[in-house]
Amino acid sequence: MSDLSTRPEAGGTTPSASGPWPIELDEVTVRYPNGVTALKGVSLRIEAGEMVAIVGLSGSGKSTMIRTINGLVPPTSGRVAVGPHAVSELRGRALREARGDIGMIFQGFNLADRASVFHNALVGRFSHMPTWRTMLGLASDVDRDMVMRSLDSVGMLEKVWHRAGALSGGQKQRVAIARALSQEPAVMLADEPVASLDPPTAHSVMADLASINASRGLTVLVNLHLMDLARQYTTRMIGLRAGEVVYDGPAASATDADFEAIYGRPVQSRDRLGE
Amino acid sequence: MTTVAEAAERPAQAIPPRPRTWPRTARIVAVLAVLTAATATPALGGVEIDLGAIADNWTNGADRIGQMLVPDLSVLPRTWQPLLETLQMAVVGAAISAVLAVPLSLWAARPTNPNAPVRAAVRFVLNVIRAVPDLVYATVLVAMVGVGTLPGVITLVLFDIGIVVKLVSEAIDSADSSYMEAGRAAGGTQTQINRLTALPQTWPALASQVLYSLELNVRISAILGLVGAGGIGRLIDEMRGFYRYDALSTIILEILIVVILIELASNVLRKRLR
Repeated sequence: MSDLSTRPEAGGTTPSASGPWPIELDEVTVRYPNGVTALKGVSLRIEAGEMVAIVGLSGSGKSTMIRTINGLVPPTSGRVAVGPHAVSELRGRALREARGDIGMIFQGFNLADRASVFHNALVGRFSHMPTWRTMLGLASDVDRDMVMRSLDSVGMLEKVWHRAGALSGGQKQRVAIARALSQEPAVMLADEPVASLDPPTAHSVMADLASINASRGLTVLVNLHLMDLARQYTTRMIGLRAGEVVYDGPAASATDADFEAIYGRPVQSRDRLGE
Repeated sequence: MTTVAEAAERPAQAIPPRPRTWPRTARIVAVLAVLTAATATPALGGVEIDLGAIADNWTNGADRIGQMLVPDLSVLPRTWQPLLETLQMAVVGAAISAVLAVPLSLWAARPTNPNAPVRAAVRFVLNVIRAVPDLVYATVLVAMVGVGTLPGVITLVLFDIGIVVKLVSEAIDSADSSYMEAGRAAGGTQTQINRLTALPQTWPALASQVLYSLELNVRISAILGLVGAGGIGRLIDEMRGFYRYDALSTIILEILIVVILIELASNVLRKRLR
């Protein structure tokens, strides 16, 4: 169920109010306290409105890389910039404001299962809401409207008052996408968004991400380990291996040999999702 | 790496001999036995346990037990008022402690409070609160605010906070908190994340522990009356003073029934909370 009609053209189409933003990594190194070096001097530039796959096996550093972009993981050295935000230099309120402009979805959905779909999506309004408003549990009309429109755009509006824990995996990931869209982000990050889903659901979630890139013109960065998803849904592919960029080029024309260089081993059947 | 298919092709292997565990078990039992003997030997600094005293004195108690086996129900009308007072103290104490326990539990748990020094401070204060026996609170409070239900209720609140916050914060510590990463990624403050997502995740644990504290409160407030902190304990003290063991057993039966009723009610509530 490939949704080729929503395949994005590089550069995007209709820019949102703030416009899509470029992402720039300059000699970024991340060393964890346990001594593991997850990223080794990675430099790259992602243009505004691009749809980029970061491909690599688990442990290649792609999860770390996507988390340096919104400051969840601070770089040990180097510089990270997203649009006007110098993320790697920010702390406290400024960092939270920058994160508010960067949406993120996760492999495990990261929803609060006992909270309603509405409240989970309202999490995306945090950076737009004063803390006292959150404390009182009062969403403003603007926040409520934004959440409802985001849920509607992923087809989850009818479940708005259901508990998040009662949803299927695909529905949970859609709510997580709506949560990110409620932020009105300029950049969307996705960390293995379909690795916990069955193949048909995985394809439809990837199509959702592609259409977000095409219709909203967001810069989308998605971590994947499956080669066919990268080829089908993204325009540019960055291959990571042991914390270093080993491939950077168009995704559709990447050969099996290119993937073997990224994986560091022959291509196997489990490297493809299939239909 | 061997696959299942490869393993199936190999000839069946001999089952490895089961390791002998009884020498270790024997050593553990021996250590426990020696420790028990040592703690009960006065010569080694252990406690003095004189089993002979049981033989000498058991008849004294037997009379009282005999009396208690025939409850004197005529005391019942006099128990309603203090029993109701005990129940009121238990409910008010549990309710106040529940409200106070919400922020304290969130501050005492690691996922909801990443600030280690503040967390340690909250936990230390709670350890102090738990370390003081409830009768000490009641005695001091009776001296401070006078005889009546008020010192009793304050004692129950302190006691309940100690246990509820400990158990709920441990539940938060051990629960999955991956949703917090999403809140942080969206630019939320810890307070926002706690209010909108951690709180609904914590309700069942909190409700369950508050119901448990309600049950404990009924038992404890039976004791608190001994030092003048209100409730049915005052009547227990009075009956004991008059050697009315038959009336005492009526009161004990009453407390037992109330505790069982609360337990049944809280079991029903707990099931609905899941």
